[in-house]
Amino acid sequence: MKIVRDSIIAVSILTMGAFGQDANALMQEAAKLDVKKVCDVKSNGLEKVLEVAKKYNPVAVEFGVEFKRLGITNSVYIKGLEGAIKAKKPEVTLEYKSKGKKKSKTFKTDYATWRACHFAVRALQQKVEAQKTWRLAVPGDGFKY
Amino acid sequence: MIRSIAKVSALGLLAISILGAGGFNEQAEKDRKALIEYMQKKFSDPLKNRASQFPYSTDKELKENIKGGLKFEDFRLGSYAFNKSGKEQYDEIAEMPPYEDAVDEGEELYNKKFKNGKSFKECFPKPDIAGDYPMYDAKKGVVTLSSAINDCLKANGEKPWNMKKGKMAKLEAYFAYQSKEAGKKFNIKIDSKEAQEAYERGKKEYYSQRGYLKLSCASCHVQGAGKRVRAEYMSPLLGQVTHFPVYRLKWEDLGTLERRMVGCNKDQGENPHKANSKWMKELLYFMAYMSNGMPVDGPDIRK
Ligand code: HEC
Repeated sequence: MKIVRDSIIAVSILTMGAFGQDANALMQEAAKLDVKKVCDVKSNGLEKVLEVAKKYNPVAVEFGVEFKRLGITNSVYIKGLEGAIKAKKPEVTLEYKSKGKKKSKTFKTDYATWRACHFAVRALQQKVEAQKTWRLAVPGDGFKY
Repeated sequence: MIRSIAKVSALGLLAISILGAGGFNEQAEKDRKALIEYMQKKFSDPLKNRASQFPYSTDKELKENIKGGLKFEDFRLGSYAFNKSGKEQYDEIAEMPPYEDAVDEGEELYNKKFKNGKSFKECFPKPDIAGDYPMYDAKKGVVTLSSAINDCLKANGEKPWNMKKGKMAKLEAYFAYQSKEAGKKFNIKIDSKEAQEAYERGKKEYYSQRGYLKLSCASCHVQGAGKRVRAEYMSPLLGQVTHFPVYRLKWEDLGTLERRMVGCNKDQGENPHKANSKWMKELLYFMAYMSNGMPVDGPDIRK
């Protein structure tokens, strides 16, 4: 009995990872969000939208589906935005590496915040959608031509 | 009577064991055959298949630059199987292949002694093995040629190599060359339930849309094969792994299959998976199985 209980605990600790909540449950939760609404900077404010990004992006990293655009991962967006939003800066400068060289790019803070949120949520929604759609592209399976 | 029952049941057992051994790759075989059928049909007559397969190409392009009537083995050439002008440029470069020195250096690496006096020969007694990888190992999961090379180095107290270029690419160039010379074909095996599951996971990843561009590998290399993105024609999944490592003009360097894959994964708008990740290895396992039966054709040249 004890072994069973201990292994259940061990397994749930494993799947909980660093989240304190099951990563899978968080992904399913993200799948149900209206991404336009939750990532709308005007109606929710920068802090709240960044919180959404911070909640879901680590789950995307855990599942290996984090977005990256022009050399900048969503984690880098989020990290840069934390400082910029606290300091109430209208622009955020993101530092990143490309082919071993240090580079940087500057964005409008509200635009970058929307993107960080959008990327975090969409990465997870897409993973859930793919469970249903991937077979539609397989010749001999769901792909008809 | 008893004897004939014994005979029948012995036959039955034999049948079961054959089924058992062959059964784990049954789905993979179906997938492979369906892929061949699709690609041969798609490239049977590009102009005629224009509406369903090449909607963005002009008639002129299809008539003048896209070769039709492709058969199974043609696909080992990647996009050069059908891209006529690309193939002409390719043939010119191939007259003085920029990878020849790499093959020689790879041979030296193969024979060179480790600090402990052993060499790669102990791990890989024969160098014509490029078509046998990836393989499934009960303990390690999918083992790619690159990970097997690094395992050998580590087991002999040496530092593992970068999996994307340099010495790794050179040794693999030698293995590929030796395999090609020996007439070896891709011969990927799926002989356990766990191996089958790894294959299925790799397949699912290949067909899943990912990154902020929402593209799957298949969007470009199955449905998109033969279409253009920027100035490049996209190669079919069938035959996509047979010719690595490649000397790429863009890199001005020789690179492994993993190096190319990381690039494509990045192009999808995703933080790319590492060359040594489980994701990468299982994806490669699936891709290599799709090329089963094709001759090893590396090293090669790409744009
Ligand atoms: C946006 C379209 C696109 C997507 C998505 C894409 N690729 Fe590619 N890929 C290309 C292009 C363009 C080339 C260069 C032309 C060619 O196919 O040889 C290429 C080349 C390759 C090659 C080398 C082919 C050769 O003959 O040397 C491999 C292997 C490959 N891709 C694998 C993948 C994998 C695996 C994925 C998914 C992780 C993927 N690609 C996703 C466009 C794409």
